[in-house]
Amino acid sequence: MRDRNLSLRVQSCPRKSGACNFSKTCYLRDMTPYIQAQNVALTFRPKNRDPVTALQGLDLEVGKGEFLSLVGPSGCGKSTFLNVLLGLLKPDGGDIRLDGKKITGPGQERAMVFQEFGLLPWRTVLANVELGLELKGVPASMRHQRSSELIKLVGLNGFEHHYPHELSGGMKQRVGLARALATDPDVLLMDEPFAALDAQTRDLMQLELLQIWDRAKKTVLFVTHSIEEAAYLSDRVIVLTARPGRTKSVIKINLPRPRDYEMRLTADFNDIKATIWNTLKEELIARTGYGA
Amino acid sequence: MALKEIYTEYQRPILGLASVAGLLLAWELVLTYLIPVNPFFFTKPSLIATAFREQVLGGRLSHDLIISSRAFLWGFSCAIAVGIPVGVLMGWRRRAEYTLDPFLTALYASPLIALAPLIIVVFGVGLVAKSVLVFLLAVFPFIFNAFAGVRSTDRLLINVVRSFGGKERDLYFKVILPSTLPYLIAGSRIALGRGLVGVIVGEFFAASEGIGFAIARFGDTYQLPEMFAGISVLMIIAVVVTEGMRKLEAVLAPWRVGQEAR
Amino acid sequence: MTRLVQIYTEREHQILGGGFILLLIIAWESVPHLVTLPRALSLFFTTPSKVSETFYELVVQNEFQTHFYVSAVEFLLGLGLAILAGLPLGLIMGRSSVVDAMFDPYVTALNATPRIVFLPLLILWLGLGIWSKVMIVFIGALFPLLINTYEGVKNVDRVLVNVVRSFGANEWQVMKMVVLPNSLPYVVAGLRLAIGRAILGVVVGEFYGATKGLGSMMAKAASAFQVDVVFVGAAIFMGISLIFTLTVKRIEANLSRWRPDVVKTF
Repeated sequence: MRDRNLSLRVQSCPRKSGACNFSKTCYLRDMTPYIQAQNVALTFRPKNRDPVTALQGLDLEVGKGEFLSLVGPSGCGKSTFLNVLLGLLKPDGGDIRLDGKKITGPGQERAMVFQEFGLLPWRTVLANVELGLELKGVPASMRHQRSSELIKLVGLNGFEHHYPHELSGGMKQRVGLARALATDPDVLLMDEPFAALDAQTRDLMQLELLQIWDRAKKTVLFVTHSIEEAAYLSDRVIVLTARPGRTKSVIKINLPRPRDYEMRLTADFNDIKATIWNTLKEELIARTGYGA
Repeated sequence: MALKEIYTEYQRPILGLASVAGLLLAWELVLTYLIPVNPFFFTKPSLIATAFREQVLGGRLSHDLIISSRAFLWGFSCAIAVGIPVGVLMGWRRRAEYTLDPFLTALYASPLIALAPLIIVVFGVGLVAKSVLVFLLAVFPFIFNAFAGVRSTDRLLINVVRSFGGKERDLYFKVILPSTLPYLIAGSRIALGRGLVGVIVGEFFAASEGIGFAIARFGDTYQLPEMFAGISVLMIIAVVVTEGMRKLEAVLAPWRVGQEAR
Repeated sequence: MTRLVQIYTEREHQILGGGFILLLIIAWESVPHLVTLPRALSLFFTTPSKVSETFYELVVQNEFQTHFYVSAVEFLLGLGLAILAGLPLGLIMGRSSVVDAMFDPYVTALNATPRIVFLPLLILWLGLGIWSKVMIVFIGALFPLLINTYEGVKNVDRVLVNVVRSFGANEWQVMKMVVLPNSLPYVVAGLRLAIGRAILGVVVGEFYGATKGLGSMMAKAASAFQVDVVFVGAAIFMGISLIFTLTVKRIEANLSRWRPDVVKTF
């Protein structure tokens, strides 16, 4: 880990959990954790197959309003953890709290943007965005209004009455984003949301996401395979070990905000990527034999 | 505990077996101890089993099955011989599709069985009438599935083979046939079921032998255990054949063909 | 001239298809005029024009109405019962793996077997009246409906269920928002198949053992060599089958607007 010079844009925390006291200028020093995960464990027991331990001894903390990315080797449990946070999966062990309260199931303060979009194919774009509001019991006229606003926000004005199969991947993901924002959740969970998009759309969506996040001040947990994406978007990047997943290292990204595309072309950015990569590489070599 | 593990692994067949065994047991017990059975109206598993043994030992069963199979095989082979080429033609040449499709769709949607009395009147009682019925019913799945199979051939693959210097013959054998095969297998499964209906119906009306005829005759003479035995045999054959085809399909064609579920 | 070519290219499908059918009908009609049939064959032969005449005569006679009515009742009653039984059962089997495992042997066995074999049994139990036919129609139509409903419920996308659950939906809402809309196209396809099976049930049931109904009318006519009557009956069954099937196909197409195009197979 390269932390010999404080003028570097990246710092790695020697401690596993989020509150690093490494530097006086670290804004996380006074952070009160908004989401706290301690010693989380989860094992899948599929029928007719061997059990799979996805998470074991995972500790994690997320600050309020923070943009946090999770990276790690394939199968390390990133998506599983997100589902646990969402409340769809129950961990076998450990403690997970949101704002001090234990997470026991889905709740309105958390919403997820799914990798496979997850749009109801028989509903129009408008009806899809309204889904959360509908389940909340919001009356139709208010639903329509809010959904229309969000559809405009994500740039899909005019497509309200289209069906998902008529949309491109990027458009579908925007619908997913609008839907997640519709219920005004405090926490946005994003599971590799841009993985299925082409490079250009991906860049565009990242920019839009940052703008929306900046305006809405939500806490975002972002899972991705792309180190570049993680470094570009986040305040902190947490690298997980290979399966079973556990926090390996926490890397703070000290780049100024608002971030723009040009930042990705700087040497500092490359340093950041290198730091993350070196940590990740260890996991890839150790567990999957990559590069051996 | 080992028992629990066995249960979770094999839950489906265990429950299924238990369900059937339970039903047979209840059937037997109720009719033996609770309600006296009117032999002209109902029967019970033990009697059916006895009748079945008698039929098998007496050679009657195998004889009937052979007769029925003969008619079935004749009709089915003709269905394959006619159905697949027509389907392929329709798939290959648009004009052929345009010409034949409305006519064939209309026929397929109609209960061709309605013509059974006519067929019997024209062809008389016996092998020919039954085979014609089987053919009429079994030919359509072959036509339509061959058609769909040819149609669904990936144009890209044809171009690939062409680009490597393949001729018409190569196209047929290297691309179209393999790509059509899953559809044909699925079509066979459907055609088998329909052909079976053809044999049975044919034998109800136009036969003096065969398993369908036997069942009908047992019904007329109120020989219920024998009738139930015949029905059971037919059921078992039908299930074995259909499920066998399904397994074959799964091996040769991993994806499901058609909306006609099962 | 180019105008004709234009019309042709646009409607080639209908022109060739319709033309072919027309050709067949004309050919059929003209056979007795062109060829002298051998004695034996002429006994069974009829032409479209004669069939239409007979149809008209039959309609004028009251007897036809009764037959038609009886067949219609058998069809509708049997189909209705099949829907009432098949849809809920398919739903339950789709959602509960225990129920599924327990009922599966019966469903597989009864679906693979030609329902026709139960005809002698049903006649034995229920006599020659309507009910034996209703039952055969019921058994025939039940399975496509049940199985397709089951498939529709079972094949629901897990991701969608998770999505809806993540927004706080309870079981009932998951059913309403995801399972039911997803199943609808399957159910309608099942209905289309069920209708075909139902008509088959009426036809064969009435052939085998009935005193009233179009099928019995046909059977009687067949033994009396009244070939025209047989064709009238066959044509009516075919026509009804076509109308119902096409209507349901239309509904299917309307309901499937949200689906990407699937290869049409059978």
